[in-house]
Amino acid sequence: MLCLGTTLSALFIGAADNKPVAFADGKLPNYLEFKIPAGWPKPTSNIFAKNKLSEQGFQLGKKLFYDSRLSKDGNISCANCHQQFAAFATYDHDFSHGLDDQHTTRNAPALFNLAWMTKYHWDGGINHIEVQPLSPITSPTEMGETLENVLGKLKGDTTYTKLFKAAFGTEEINSQRMLKALAQFTGSIVSANSKYDKVLRGEAKFTYAEENGYNLFKAKCASCHKEPLFTDNSFRNNGLEINTLLNDHGRMKITNDPKDSLKFKVPSLRNVAVSLPYMHDGRFQSLGQVIEHYRNGIITSQPTLDPQLANKLAITNAQKYELIYFLNTLTDTSMTKNPRFAK
Amino acid sequence: MNNIFLLLPLYLLSFLNISRATKKLTATNTGTVKISFVNTVKGKPLELNTGSYTNPFGETYSVSKFKYYISRVSLVTGKAVFFEPGTYHLVDESKPDDLHFSFELKAGEYQWLYFMLGVDSLHNVSGAQTGALDPLNDMFWTWNTGYVMAKLEGKSPQSKLVNNKLEFHIGGFMGENNVLKNITLNFPPGKILNIQEGKTSEIIIGADIDTWWQQPNDIKITEHAVCSTPGALAKKIADNYSKMFSIKEVVNN
Repeated sequence: MLCLGTTLSALFIGAADNKPVAFADGKLPNYLEFKIPAGWPKPTSNIFAKNKLSEQGFQLGKKLFYDSRLSKDGNISCANCHQQFAAFATYDHDFSHGLDDQHTTRNAPALFNLAWMTKYHWDGGINHIEVQPLSPITSPTEMGETLENVLGKLKGDTTYTKLFKAAFGTEEINSQRMLKALAQFTGSIVSANSKYDKVLRGEAKFTYAEENGYNLFKAKCASCHKEPLFTDNSFRNNGLEINTLLNDHGRMKITNDPKDSLKFKVPSLRNVAVSLPYMHDGRFQSLGQVIEHYRNGIITSQPTLDPQLANKLAITNAQKYELIYFLNTLTDTSMTKNPRFAK
Repeated sequence: MNNIFLLLPLYLLSFLNISRATKKLTATNTGTVKISFVNTVKGKPLELNTGSYTNPFGETYSVSKFKYYISRVSLVTGKAVFFEPGTYHLVDESKPDDLHFSFELKAGEYQWLYFMLGVDSLHNVSGAQTGALDPLNDMFWTWNTGYVMAKLEGKSPQSKLVNNKLEFHIGGFMGENNVLKNITLNFPPGKILNIQEGKTSEIIIGADIDTWWQQPNDIKITEHAVCSTPGALAKKIADNYSKMFSIKEVVNN
């Protein structure tokens, strides 16, 4: 049977994929190279392999990202909950506000370095960057709109028909093109130019406290928050007390596997100082509270607790502050203030 | 199962034969096969919303939506397999135009029909798709990426859900709860498909909802009026409905 399946898969690859686009008037878009920062691993998702990155696709995606007409009441764009100055997370909100001022049930994740992920959302339920926007667009507590209505609104706007033509060769507006354009924008947001990166490149120097913090980080935190992405993209239980009002069991919702209970995606610590609050439910307002959790707060009785946290983390008061100094070096203002990603 | 194992060597051979079959496709030696689906309950044509049906456990129900994905359609002739050029079909009871599809193939006699009920795993992990796989078709989970392979919605007085809803959204393409089903159908005795040059022959396939409730797994509406995630229940229902197809008729022209 395995053999049969393999044979058929081989024959079917690419069957329903985007057909090669005919640019009738010969005006090809300006294709862009997706640059991998020096010393970084290859992206785990080849997100632009079947979605060729172009300036026109990027610009269309950016317009869509900032367009509140993607929501039912016309008030909520992607950018409402993914604010550039907060590394595309929602600044200072545990939960974001959606349609009719409803709250989401998880903290909006920051958006950058998405090509180095294979699964999206805190529970990893989304397996491809292109299909992620379907979730917030159609969620009743977020943008609350139907895909059909979104496409209807875009089709009624001649600005969009022109932009779709520039990016994809014809004026046709469909869900696939919309989603691919959004992926061109969000997938292009790369954060690799923080003080930490500059230090590694020999362009800057850590202070004494930052240096000590970095050494502590490497000893205590880096196995999950792995450099250079500052995440290993795994799902782990870090011993948070369950919020009984939400009863959010994380990854188990997707896998139905009790071994995944209370596991959530390890977030990147890049830009962590500007993407507060923290954890899947935004329960901690400051980095100090986060470190306090790892020192004293871990619920060690949870059966799925990550083994590395079984004895909590031994961090002295002085080390705590040095660690915070180090984490502040991960802020990349060349990304959070880059006009290219701004509205 | 036996049929699939018999076919195994034929599929391997098909690697060599497909390209040749494609090259031979010229106006002079091809015909058309039309594949039509007739959705039924206990052999009688399904009536959306108005029909009242009883399952093997005496539970009554009506059906408001019934749709499923068909892909990898192929026909076997002698030692060769002819694949429909890669495409996906969403058979939707509410849309008469979506109850049949046609494609060209080499004239000749065909002994077997094969297809997959569902969307192969690759296309569940490959991002935004179009055509039958467009998420607009309401057969795509937005919170746990993947296609609903088959959907049955309706009402039943035995349902404990709000408004007596009955809601089976069956999907899952990974691991032990994979619901993808390879379907092999034999033509009735003495009735093989004969494709003649320039003509259209038709295969009429019945899909009977009565199979969803039993064998091998008892699915009672009182216990399970909803299934909307991949998992063990979805797998059980899919194991049942994998037997829903039969060839009702072959019309050779």
